[in-house]
Amino acid sequence: MFQFINTLLIGITAGSIYALMAIAIVLVWRSTRVINFAQGGLALASSFVGASILEKTGSFWIALPIAMLAGALFSAFIEFFFLRPLLKRSGDKGEEIFLPIIATLGLLGIIKAVLNFIYGDRVGVIAPPLSDKGFIVSGESIALSPMRLLILGTVFLLMVVLTLIFQRTNLGLSLRASSFAPEISRLAGVRVDVIRTVGWAISGAAGATAGILQTTNGSGSITPESFEFSLLLVFGFVAAVIGGIESLVGAVLGGLTLGIILAIILMYVGGSLVFFAAFLILILVLLLRPHGIIGSKGGRRA
Amino acid sequence: MELSEVKVVDVHKPQITNKHRFIGFALIALTVFILSNSVDEWRAFQGATVAVYVVAIASIILLTGYSGQISLGHGALLAVGAYSAAIAQINFQLPILLCFVVAVITTSLFGALLGAAAARLSGPYLAGTTLALAVGLPSIANQFSFLGGEQGISFDVGWPPLSFGEDFTQYKWFFWIATLAALISMWWVQNILRSRYGRTWRAVKTNEVAAELAGINIGRSKVLAFTVSSGIAGLAGALLAMTTNNVSPSVFPLALSFSLATGAVLSGVNTLGGVIIGSVALVAIPEIASLVADRWSGSESVATLLPDLIVSALLILTVFLAPKGPIEKLRSRHVK
Repeated sequence: MFQFINTLLIGITAGSIYALMAIAIVLVWRSTRVINFAQGGLALASSFVGASILEKTGSFWIALPIAMLAGALFSAFIEFFFLRPLLKRSGDKGEEIFLPIIATLGLLGIIKAVLNFIYGDRVGVIAPPLSDKGFIVSGESIALSPMRLLILGTVFLLMVVLTLIFQRTNLGLSLRASSFAPEISRLAGVRVDVIRTVGWAISGAAGATAGILQTTNGSGSITPESFEFSLLLVFGFVAAVIGGIESLVGAVLGGLTLGIILAIILMYVGGSLVFFAAFLILILVLLLRPHGIIGSKGGRRA
Repeated sequence: MELSEVKVVDVHKPQITNKHRFIGFALIALTVFILSNSVDEWRAFQGATVAVYVVAIASIILLTGYSGQISLGHGALLAVGAYSAAIAQINFQLPILLCFVVAVITTSLFGALLGAAAARLSGPYLAGTTLALAVGLPSIANQFSFLGGEQGISFDVGWPPLSFGEDFTQYKWFFWIATLAALISMWWVQNILRSRYGRTWRAVKTNEVAAELAGINIGRSKVLAFTVSSGIAGLAGALLAMTTNNVSPSVFPLALSFSLATGAVLSGVNTLGGVIIGSVALVAIPEIASLVADRWSGSESVATLLPDLIVSALLILTVFLAPKGPIEKLRSRHVK
């Protein structure tokens, strides 16, 4: 029982990071109908920025916002200079749907090459700012530490901020409108192109946070070839699909569900099956509930 | 508008008959024969690698270019082929030719299962799903002992027959086998693309609704394309295992899947004939890049990053400048 609760706690922490990545994927999908396969690379690049700032200033609390800002800038840059011209050119021809996918793959390669060039063999270190020793409950250490609380708190805070932006501000209304009906929004005076770039920027910031938290929760260090960030992208995608890929709340629920299931598999079945399990969950969800666990029946077909 | 375009192309395109194709294939075989006798071990190995890529990329082009389904996870299918060939050899002591057949059949079956799910997914979903497969599948090897874990299991096609002479090297033998396999599979793919099935796939890709109205069973057509593509990918996997002598998760990293997708885009996903461009590019670019890096900078980090940078830049350039691939680009310019 004790072990099971610990497994749940580990799953919830990991899941909340997947949820952030899922949010990043959902935001990009809602604004441009593209899955950004460079999202993991962007998170990696922002985490490197964070690691450099951390090295210079020694403060995690300065490094995190700057990394988020960097992520937002990177992401907006990519949208503005690559995706926007590409979608304008191939916009009408549904046949060439794979072009944006390939373009983001190319960007992923370029990001990795540039990171290799700048950092080479150096390792980016992001040490946890708080203790990651578990709290002691009735004489035993549980899998909940100040650091894990910080991760959960950050994700929760970002969720609240994003929800407020989306539900209570004009910007959020424009974001929702231009993803729902771009033509009508344009007629109503919304500058859809700008709004899309903003959507990408927020997504970049969310991805950067996911990257930094994943690093502190995991090995504490990153390299340009980090496999963890490919995993982060895949888990984020699975979480987004579980949540119906359209909704922020869905993304969070999807992330938590995935995190808990994977933690249970890791603890009770076998560590090397975790990645494949993620694939199976993805297939099952796409076949049984293509609109996600909370999506409405009338949603988009998978 | 579109119809007239098609007509123009048809008028200018000389009719390619089976005889022409046979002569072309014979010429390729002859070239490889001469090449393999005049190059050193390393070039022979590179030649074999090119042939492996030809098979693998042809399977992606069949799937993406002709049936309209995208796959970022073909590395996983190669892994299925490689592992089944190796298991057929080690656990069942089958002769080597049968091992390749087993690889094709097993991977086709796996592909049929996967295709049944894939047929219901559209572009980005399918891309993400196949990506998840490429990440997830190879690590299964660590769970089951008969798959050999991280060290992997061996796959050994053996030395070339003695009758070929004393100085017939191992890599030259690989080069021959891989080229023969590539020629056979290209011949077969060309035939199937010109058959009823090929036309069905293109119809579904161009316009699903129209294809359905014309009486085509869309789901079945997509699953069949996935099955055929997987079978060819399985062959490529067994060939790849042959050149590395070993089957382990590290032979099939995510980077392999990305390279193959890149190769397919550089070849032009809609033209099977371009497959050689992408395959040669995948092998030649790292080599050229390291030459360039040696000459102009000598820095270690430039030498390691340059290939990736060039490949990725080419990928993006292709997407922007020649989205249908270099061959289509040249052809359309020629017609105009």
